[in-house]
Amino acid sequence: MIKKKFLNKIIIFVFAFFLLQIIQTNIWSVEPEEILKNQKYELRARNISKNIRCMICQNQSIDESDAPLAKDLRILIRNKIKDGYADKEIYKFLIDRYGDFILLKPPFKLNTFLLWLLPFVFFAIGIFIIFVHNKKSKKT
Amino acid sequence: MKKKLLIIPTIFFLLILAAFFFLLITDRNPSELPSALLNKNVPKFEGKSLFKDKKIISSQIFVKEIVLVNFFATWCKPCLEEHKYIKRFSEKNGIKIIGINYKDNDKRAIEWLNKLGNPYSDVIVDKKGNVAIDWGVYGIPETFIINSQGIIKHRHAGPLSEKIYKKINLIINNIE
Repeated sequence: MIKKKFLNKIIIFVFAFFLLQIIQTNIWSVEPEEILKNQKYELRARNISKNIRCMICQNQSIDESDAPLAKDLRILIRNKIKDGYADKEIYKFLIDRYGDFILLKPPFKLNTFLLWLLPFVFFAIGIFIIFVHNKKSKKT
Repeated sequence: MKKKLLIIPTIFFLLILAAFFFLLITDRNPSELPSALLNKNVPKFEGKSLFKDKKIISSQIFVKEIVLVNFFATWCKPCLEEHKYIKRFSEKNGIKIIGINYKDNDKRAIEWLNKLGNPYSDVIVDKKGNVAIDWGVYGIPETFIINSQGIIKHRHAGPLSEKIYKKINLIINNIE
């Protein structure tokens, strides 16, 4: 009986946890008057906004930020989409002005290749160490 | 053999520690970002002049001399603080300064400049902040140094102070 109660508690906890996740991922700052009527365009704008850093808050995307500059950039992205710009061109427009830092994900470049590759290198070293260690302990 | 091997991770750990410590004590400001426009041509833009009833085109401004570009607004407190340094640049150093009035009210901006003194040779109205986006501005005040070829040589985000006034002066002298 006690066990069942405990299990129920866990189920509720897990459920609440996932519910919280869903609610959290749905937080955005796009204001009603910003939203484009064309749903396809709006979706594109949202996707771009999610990858663009809010330069004021720095660890938020402009999709989530209430900062005035984030709002300006959201509107700018939407206007560019309406004007027929491709996603790539919009990214380039923003990078030309604000630098790579405006992308939340650093691009793979000559000066960032260590950043991207080092985790894999360390992972390989780790596997190698475990492998060597195992071999040694099996012998003894 | 095993004990000897243990020295390697210890040294490695100490090296990382030293690196972190070094980064901690050096004077760095994480919110200070390098401008993507550094050593590039001034972005092309046009806008209404605040005082004169005319359009200002960027290609007419940046010719033959060093120009400071300063983004400001009357609602921005740090802009008020740095105003005396902007004035000093124009009065003492005789440098041409272009003001960009960011998301402001025209009437209030004119009043503000009449009261405090107007160091700008021209003020461009940027009602929607589009000019600021072209310059990669993310928060005013911001000040840019442009050389006589119309290339951006320095960007300072935040208000000017005595220390930064001197620093910008040094940069201007080095350009000349």
